Amino acid sequence: MKDFMLLFIGSDYVTQGLSPEEMQARMGKWFAWNDKMQAQGIVKHGEALQSTGRRVTGENRTVTDGPFAESKELIGGYYVISVADYDAAVEVAQDYPDYDLGGKVEIREIMVFDQ
Amino acid sequence: MEGKIIDHLFRHQHGKMVSVLTRIFGFEHLETIEDAVQDTFIQAMNSWRKQMPENPEAWLMRAAKNRSIDLFRKIGKDKDRDSQFNNGPSAIALSEMFLDDEIEDSQLKMIFTACHPLLDPKDQIAFALKTISGFSRKEIAAALLSKEDNIKKRLQRARKYIVKLNLQFEIPVGEELNVRLDRVMEVIYVLFNEGFQSLKKDKLIRKDLCGEALRLCKILLNKKALQVPKLHALFALLCFHSSRLESKIGPNNEIINLADQDRRLWYFPLIAMGNDAMNKAVENNVKMSSYHYEAAIVSEHLRASSFEKTNWTMILKWYLELYALQPTENNLLNISIVQIQLKQFDEALKSLTNINQAKLQQREYLYYATFAEYFHHQGEVVKSIHHIDRALELVKNESERDYFISKKNSYQNKNARD
Repeated sequence: MKDFMLLFIGSDYVTQGLSPEEMQARMGKWFAWNDKMQAQGIVKHGEALQSTGRRVTGENRTVTDGPFAESKELIGGYYVISVADYDAAVEVAQDYPDYDLGGKVEIREIMVFDQ
Repeated sequence: MEGKIIDHLFRHQHGKMVSVLTRIFGFEHLETIEDAVQDTFIQAMNSWRKQMPENPEAWLMRAAKNRSIDLFRKIGKDKDRDSQFNNGPSAIALSEMFLDDEIEDSQLKMIFTACHPLLDPKDQIAFALKTISGFSRKEIAAALLSKEDNIKKRLQRARKYIVKLNLQFEIPVGEELNVRLDRVMEVIYVLFNEGFQSLKKDKLIRKDLCGEALRLCKILLNKKALQVPKLHALFALLCFHSSRLESKIGPNNEIINLADQDRRLWYFPLIAMGNDAMNKAVENNVKMSSYHYEAAIVSEHLRASSFEKTNWTMILKWYLELYALQPTENNLLNISIVQIQLKQFDEALKSLTNINQAKLQQREYLYYATFAEYFHHQGEVVKSIHHIDRALELVKNESERDYFISKKNSYQNKNARD
């Protein structure tokens, strides 16, 4: 088994003008996906991220307030899952609910350092 | 986990939250308030993803309350916040605004403002759907068969006028309550019919609109001062109609005639609710409203186990009383249809000739179809064909067109037999 991080990019709900009804429906899809992964026992960790934040840059450690990217490039959350290989991770990502809102999933294997 | 959230929870919470925050901050901040409420839903979506709160409704209200503190800052009311809530006859602490009774109260105030007689009726429906029912502009546009841009304009206009006319966020009292309630009921009635009668909408939108109209009626009926016969009667009417929604719409969203509806699809819990409301509506020999008569008519239809067993005599009686109260062309047309069912042909002709058919607007085709039926019973084949052709020219609904074509064939066949 290997660990993969699924990064959710774009599909910022704030700018989509979704109605309460649509948001509730979408939330149901997230629940269903999470339940499915829990049942398979593959989720290690996962969180949603706020769209604003702070950034520290440069030698002077300059602090700036976010958001830092266009909403379509913003990372909205992540899951860390434990599956056999990339193909299996891609399979899991099929159920991500926000493709229709322009969202995308980036899958990155978590690096393991040899002792 | 999905099943844990009540259907339409977000939509209904939206109405409650917007109403409470509007009561606190005023209509001039409505757009900011709606954005803030939208934010709480996004927050909910993100933080509930892994763990649902025990009580989602309470969670949302608490989030809205916390948002109101942010809003104070944003709107800049911080300074006079204390004076606003601690003084004056309506002084009420911020936290009390979020108690169940006060939430209901705020929602009623929103309903009465949205249905204020000084607002344009078309703006009212859009505005009510947005603020009370939590529909997006896109959803309203689909529901009212309009363009999103138009809806945007209507909403802007309603917001502008509410502020400009300084409409008070309150439930009227005394005789004014009675008059204003009539307008509120009209808006609910129109909203319901947008779902129930329209020819082009899909089933989901119809159900949403009818469901919202029923819900608004129920919110009103929760308030003791509003538990009046006409409101009970309106609620009964909406329940009776809603019980037939499944049988009224075919698989391709076409409207199915009463005679052809599968009566086994009628939803009995709604009929029972309607009956219950109707009993309350007629307690103590009250003065009947048009809603009483309309509900009585639908209930006669629901009572018949088949179309053939319809008690047309009772229906005619109710229609005549309705017409005495509301002498519209539409009611007269319905009377003539019932009179033909009862084979009272002389009376039917009299009713038909008294109708100014132009005033029937999109129902004008029914006038010609009824006349065709009349002439058919009189054995006047040429005239019946002529009139059914007129009806066929005007009718827009496919299933009704099919029905008229089959009628026309039967008129012609009769000719062949003679």
